[in-house]
Amino acid sequence: MAYCFIGAVYISGTGVTQDLRNASVLVHDGDVSAESRNLIYLFRQPYFNRIGTFSGQHEGLTRLDDGASMLLLDIPEDFSQTLRRGARPVAVQMLVDTSNVTMGYLASAYGQRIVDTYAQNLAQQAARRAGLDLRTLPSVENATRVWYNPNLNGHWFNAIGEWLTMMTVLAVLLPATALVRERERGTVEQLLVAPLSSMQIMVSKALAMTLVNVAGTALSVYAVMLPLGVPFAGSPWLFFATTALYVFSIAGLGLAIGAFARSSAEVGMLVILIAVPMTALSGTWTAPEAMPGWTRWGLQISPLYHFIECAYGILLRGAGPGVLWQSILMLSLLGAVAFALAWLQLRRKLS
Amino acid sequence: MNLHRVAVVAGKEWREIARDRVFLALAFALPVMWILVFGYTMTFDVQNVPFVVLDFDHSARSRDFAYRFISSRYFDFRGYLTNEHEADRLLAAAKVRLVITIPQHFERDIASGHTAQIATLIDGTFPSRAQTIQAYADSISRNYSVGVRTERVAGELGVPYERALVLMQPVHLEIRYLYNQALRSIWSVAPSLVMLTLMFVPSLLTALVVVREKENGSIYNIYSSTVTRGEFLLGKMIPSVAISYVDALVLTAIAVYYFGAPFKADLGFYLVGALLYVVCTASIGLLVSTVVRSQNAALMIASIVGIVPAIQFSGMINPIATLEGSAWVQAHLFPAMYFENIVLGSFLKGVSGRYLWINALILGGYTAVLIWVSYYVFRKRQKR
Repeated sequence: MAYCFIGAVYISGTGVTQDLRNASVLVHDGDVSAESRNLIYLFRQPYFNRIGTFSGQHEGLTRLDDGASMLLLDIPEDFSQTLRRGARPVAVQMLVDTSNVTMGYLASAYGQRIVDTYAQNLAQQAARRAGLDLRTLPSVENATRVWYNPNLNGHWFNAIGEWLTMMTVLAVLLPATALVRERERGTVEQLLVAPLSSMQIMVSKALAMTLVNVAGTALSVYAVMLPLGVPFAGSPWLFFATTALYVFSIAGLGLAIGAFARSSAEVGMLVILIAVPMTALSGTWTAPEAMPGWTRWGLQISPLYHFIECAYGILLRGAGPGVLWQSILMLSLLGAVAFALAWLQLRRKLS
Repeated sequence: MNLHRVAVVAGKEWREIARDRVFLALAFALPVMWILVFGYTMTFDVQNVPFVVLDFDHSARSRDFAYRFISSRYFDFRGYLTNEHEADRLLAAAKVRLVITIPQHFERDIASGHTAQIATLIDGTFPSRAQTIQAYADSISRNYSVGVRTERVAGELGVPYERALVLMQPVHLEIRYLYNQALRSIWSVAPSLVMLTLMFVPSLLTALVVVREKENGSIYNIYSSTVTRGEFLLGKMIPSVAISYVDALVLTAIAVYYFGAPFKADLGFYLVGALLYVVCTASIGLLVSTVVRSQNAALMIASIVGIVPAIQFSGMINPIATLEGSAWVQAHLFPAMYFENIVLGSFLKGVSGRYLWINALILGGYTAVLIWVSYYVFRKRQKR
């Protein structure tokens, strides 16, 4: 438990992110001139890391093949000469390993930006030589602002995502195993003769698990996320209340699984069968708009999708109940459906 | 080691698995579902980014600029807005991910040779997507900037546009994408999902094999029988490994035939590598199973401990070549990275044993160590 809420969240929050850092570059400088060196020096940290040189296409490709490098930068022999003549533009070639698509794209985009900036500086010199007043040349500048995570800190995102995933798995797994264990041990008969309705049994089990999960969440938030710098923009009360609602409603799902399964092994499989698509179809790790169209209905019936609105909304955007009421309503609704399912299944099994 | 006794243990184990029909069905259905669900939802393609434009200039220029975004296949235009609060609201509700603001006097500034400032506002909730969106937007506005400059220079010097362009953009970067030319993320994700699924299905299957007998108490039959520790563990593993290997073949087929990921290398080497990996992850589960005392704990440990490193440090999110320090070390500690190398090598890069043999060798060594530790830890009598 402690591992899930602290260890796993911490590992994710401090582990790797999908930022481009230190993309390894091998350089072939065919020209060896001041101009080519100036350009090569621009490929530097934090984004790039020049790890050496290669002498020919074949050697370079081999190094890409064995994964020693991610990029090849190839400066042609006539680089400075063509620049000086100015009769035609000169092309610098970059070969990118795109077996990881995001990294490949970002590396090429940053490379493009470096070369564009370099070209712009040359262009300004050329314009001056041509007798143009630089101050009369128009340009468009783009000022970017990023909201909710201004430094695009991937660690925040990973820590929140990991906490959501862990909590979801546990919130389904714990009630399910609790129920199936009673059946395996045979203590379920004791519950049967006890003066309790099946609904009372279920609610008490779900409540206990909700407490455990909310406590775990508090650990995740206060022991890991806040020290990592994740902001807590909204109301803590609202945050823990929606967390409890979410955990309670998917505990119903866990109880349904526990009532259906016959052994702990089956429970494990079923939980993964249900919790994993729920996480995948939620927008925890992938933005909903990037998913194919048919997943939209899947999103609507995934409780996590509605809870994420609350989690990201309260933590990062400081959203209040006015913005979130729809999500809260859907969460309650899905929870009610899950409990009804569990209740039917349990009654069928017990009678 | 008596092979007959191994076969008997394996046969008994197989009957136990096969008797639980739901479990058996899930052992095959789960990996398939896993790769399908993740294949569809874990996309790193950044396309159709919903965006709005706040155009305060209402000029031909500003519309022309906005059109650069509207016509891009990366962006999905959701309309012009008139006030900033509307934009803030859409961004907060995650209805749009990008707001482009074109200020007043945009056209006039460009015509008079000044610098026109446009502003892009990006939702940073998904940091890597936000970075990509930022890169797209930067690239569009840079191109536009070069365009207006070149127009002006061409006019002032009285030369054709192409000539002025050589002056304004003397160097350009020619990019060639290798291995996944179309930048289709599913081609990369599907093979990685084979790696991820096989990280954890075999270990989940074997995680229960020994501990189940401990919980049932039937382990005492084993303790008092003539079967040796090694025979017992080996026999226990064989059915799970067999199921997992069938899973591996099915998953690979789905990646190739259903998701269309190109398979470029030597199939024989890949199959050997997959077998080694499956045995390796199955022995992780076996070790867990010999150490813990309850099925619940075994399930938890096997399903949770294996996955985080597999996602984080396999090279699936970040290429190993970009890792440093402790992340690099951790990547090399887990088996996932070595199989990821084999998978990406075989699928996308089209390189075979010549480059990848070392990965297979390490997987084999890893497996040997795990089995040896399980053998060492597993005693034919209960600890007090």
